[in-house]
Amino acid sequence: MKCPRLLPAVAIIVTMIVALGAAPQPAKAAQPTNPTFAFPAENITIEVWWHEYGPFTAYVKELIEAYKKVHPNVTINPTIASSTDMNQKLTVALAAGTGPDIMDADASYYVAYYAKGVLEPVNLSVFGVKSYQELAARYVSSGLASGTFDGKIYTLPYQGNSMSLFINNKLFAAAGLNPRKDAPKTWKDLMLLCPKLKKVEGNRTVRKAFEFPYHSPRWQLQDLQPMTEQFGGKILSDDGKTAHLNSPETVKALTLWRDVTKACGDPKNTKNTASDPNQDFLDGFTAMWITGPWATPQVQASPIKNDFTVVGLPQVNPAKPHTMVYGWAWAVNKNKPEVQKLVAWDFVKFMLAKPDEWLAKAGFVQPVKGVNETEVAKKFPFFAVHMKDVQTATWYIRSENVNEIAQAVGRAVDSVVYDGADPKAALDAAQADVDRILKK
Amino acid sequence: MLSRSSRLRHAFITYPLLFLIGFIGLLPYYWMVSCSFKTKENMFLVPLQWIPNPVNWRAYGEAWRAQDFTRYLLNSSLVAIAITLGNLLLASLAGYSLSKFRYFGRGILFLLILSTMMLPLEVTMVPLFLIVKKLNWPNTYEGLIVPFLVEGFGVFLMRQYLLSIPNELIEAARIDGASELRIYAQIVMPLCKPALAALGVFTFREAWDMYIWPLIIVTKDSLRTLPLGISLFMSSFGTAWDQLMAVAAIGTLPMILLFFFLQRSFIQGIAITGLKE
Amino acid sequence: MRALASTQPRPARKRLRLNVTAKQALFGYAILLPTLAIIIVFRFLPMLQAFYISLHEYDLIRPPKFIGFDNFIDLVRDPLFLNSARVSITYVVFSCVPVWVLSLALAMLFNRQIIAKNLFRSAAFMPVVMPAVVNAVVWTFMYHQDGVVNTILGWFSLDPIPWLRSSKWALWAIIIIGIWRATPYYMVIFLAGLQAIPHEYYEAAQIDGASPWRRFRHITLPLLKPTTLLVMVMSVIVAMKVFAVPLIMTGGGPADSTRVLPLFIYQTAFEFFKMGRAAAMSVLLFAAVMVFTLFQIRLFSHGEE
Repeated sequence: MKCPRLLPAVAIIVTMIVALGAAPQPAKAAQPTNPTFAFPAENITIEVWWHEYGPFTAYVKELIEAYKKVHPNVTINPTIASSTDMNQKLTVALAAGTGPDIMDADASYYVAYYAKGVLEPVNLSVFGVKSYQELAARYVSSGLASGTFDGKIYTLPYQGNSMSLFINNKLFAAAGLNPRKDAPKTWKDLMLLCPKLKKVEGNRTVRKAFEFPYHSPRWQLQDLQPMTEQFGGKILSDDGKTAHLNSPETVKALTLWRDVTKACGDPKNTKNTASDPNQDFLDGFTAMWITGPWATPQVQASPIKNDFTVVGLPQVNPAKPHTMVYGWAWAVNKNKPEVQKLVAWDFVKFMLAKPDEWLAKAGFVQPVKGVNETEVAKKFPFFAVHMKDVQTATWYIRSENVNEIAQAVGRAVDSVVYDGADPKAALDAAQADVDRILKK
Repeated sequence: MLSRSSRLRHAFITYPLLFLIGFIGLLPYYWMVSCSFKTKENMFLVPLQWIPNPVNWRAYGEAWRAQDFTRYLLNSSLVAIAITLGNLLLASLAGYSLSKFRYFGRGILFLLILSTMMLPLEVTMVPLFLIVKKLNWPNTYEGLIVPFLVEGFGVFLMRQYLLSIPNELIEAARIDGASELRIYAQIVMPLCKPALAALGVFTFREAWDMYIWPLIIVTKDSLRTLPLGISLFMSSFGTAWDQLMAVAAIGTLPMILLFFFLQRSFIQGIAITGLKE
Repeated sequence: MRALASTQPRPARKRLRLNVTAKQALFGYAILLPTLAIIIVFRFLPMLQAFYISLHEYDLIRPPKFIGFDNFIDLVRDPLFLNSARVSITYVVFSCVPVWVLSLALAMLFNRQIIAKNLFRSAAFMPVVMPAVVNAVVWTFMYHQDGVVNTILGWFSLDPIPWLRSSKWALWAIIIIGIWRATPYYMVIFLAGLQAIPHEYYEAAQIDGASPWRRFRHITLPLLKPTTLLVMVMSVIVAMKVFAVPLIMTGGGPADSTRVLPLFIYQTAFEFFKMGRAAAMSVLLFAAVMVFTLFQIRLFSHGEE
């Protein structure tokens, strides 16, 4: 019988046919329109995906419950994943043409998603405005910058975090320092404090005075960016086409990083991880640490409780402050039915409606006007400091290749700090890497 | 027959070695469990605290309540058991076919199966997701189980092991008139117990460990598997190390139970040569 | 390659009376079929697709753009890829070779008469049983500056090592975990293989006066050939694919010292949105492993029948 012979051949042919047929289909292009806003009466189900963070998750779930009371015909299905997992999950889903109605991603990722055509612009009628500028005016200047592409707004941030300097009061006091009066304003000030705060016994570091982050290249770039700008430089050109990683200003910034680390920290000795970036500070293992207002509930839950101070990010020149702001934002998936997109934007509006609640329950600062006047803001520890750093901030770099650039920077920082490489040489290598990437 | 002195010598080397190996094997387990009973203050004590004092009994309860871990545990168990049984059956059949039967294309088919082991999942994941989507399997148990019901590893392992089983046994059974299926089930498979046990443990562990695939294919919380639950837990609110270790310990339990269940297969070994255990 | 050569079944007679050989061949096909079906649909097809994608530029959302072999040409000149390949090869060599030696040695140790053998063997086997995520978390804890590993080093008056926070040691930290995890598993496989060797051979050799080393070389090793092939091929393939532990423990750092190839592929696909490039890297990885495997099979083929 010919059966046994044909079998493998047939299998191979079938294989080829199915393989070609299973090629990914391009995402459907849909032309969005802005309908006049009448809330749909039929039953609608939408999916929201967001990244896990205790207080944040709890608050969004509350909002979902509350929305159901206002619009009982809308069912909202949540999906939560850790922040590192969420990006991959979202990308694969979008690649397969599925994915949620409302997505949650870091602002810098949206450049890529916008370029891929999966974002739906904000529905103006839902927000009751006639133009994107009108909507932007409700936010602090450049509050919506990261989500604006080609003049239209595509994402709305639920947090715009500056990174400021947190100080452990008890450790300061133990060193004979006053957290208010002696808090450093410049990097030089900071380095002068270190001999008093850093404790070493034999070959073990018992306590660090200050440490930069090493658990994530992104965090490293988040710190290096304002430092570079403080020296008058820029990490990435505004059009995103050229990186300036080995410019003299960036080299100065990395050299400063190295010198501060030598005087104040011990990168070989840390318990910080990607899911636990603040651990050293929470443990009292480092006296000073740069992080965002969202860390406040965590600090208050730790042994530190309320015994901490927050001051602005250290500067090179306090007269010309440069800080950095980054944030996560909500966006709506373009490849969904019109009515679902409408409801999606309505729910986003609903979620963002009370910035003081975001602050109180999750420690997230929305970069929207009027937050500082609320009661919650007045009671939030050092809110004015956080807000000031937001106002002098540039957004974390926006680029489709943001992760590759961050990794190149992280590599340079690591090789300087861990392998004693020369900052210029390390940054030259990083520049070469990024040039290659941006060239394509 | 070893002389008394050389037997003593052997014992002097063997037993300390065995203790050392056991110590190395068990150390991380001990550490995990001991930390799950430590208080937060003593977690990072210098020098290390080997025995928790005082004992913190709350970590297990607190961790378990923080997420729906019971559900995750059940999901992981269901998926892992299904995949393991599937592999044991299908891989042994395939291994038997590839080692004891001759037919056209046998070599190529073996290579084909072998080749699928070599590509990391990350890259085949997107095409696989598209295929699974066409079958309407996202967010279902089928989607979690069927693509992994049999793997190249299992086939390879069974084939290699079966090669060492003498053909005479099989031929004799055929001459006696036994059907092929009977030969497989009643003569060949019982001889494979150690290989099946090894395959079972490995497959179960890989299935239990699956992280990326469930991550992409599951959006409903009710289908989440344990590794995803642990990851979610870790990013929830900073690391409560005692609770994390508690969750880790519970997450290891099914594997340990499976292992002890299969221990007897290791003990029985092969009867073929009468080698004593 | 004798083991993989095929024999032509004799053509069966016209009507449904098949001769014995053909019947057996049919049975062989039949029991292979379910496995083949699943592997082709869910593994082989995606694999072909991945090869196809490697010839394209594909960011996962916009349609793929054909660019021929550009990805491959780029990769061979990309220092980041070459570094990652180097890290992977280092990992594979330094975790696999010790595993081969240790697992065989342990298997021979456990093949003897031992009191409470089950207890010791269970304890030795425990590393296999720990799930990967748990593994990563617990060992991270153990590698802390003042953690278990450094404390044990201190018992031997050795200085603490900054393990995961050092570009020199981080890869070794992960290699140690790899060896710890893999050895007991292959020990069991070797044990099964050792137990298949008839005791009579050893007894005969002893009567002839052969030394333990000669018995090992001329009885054990040759009869273990299929098992050894299995262990070597499997361990290399598993080591080349190792991913969860570096991802969770170090994320590839510090300074790229633990950026093994699967991790780099994953990041290229899902953090850099360069699926075509990631697929190309996988093809190269696949080719390397395939070559190694075929070489091993050839080396061992004359021991199989």
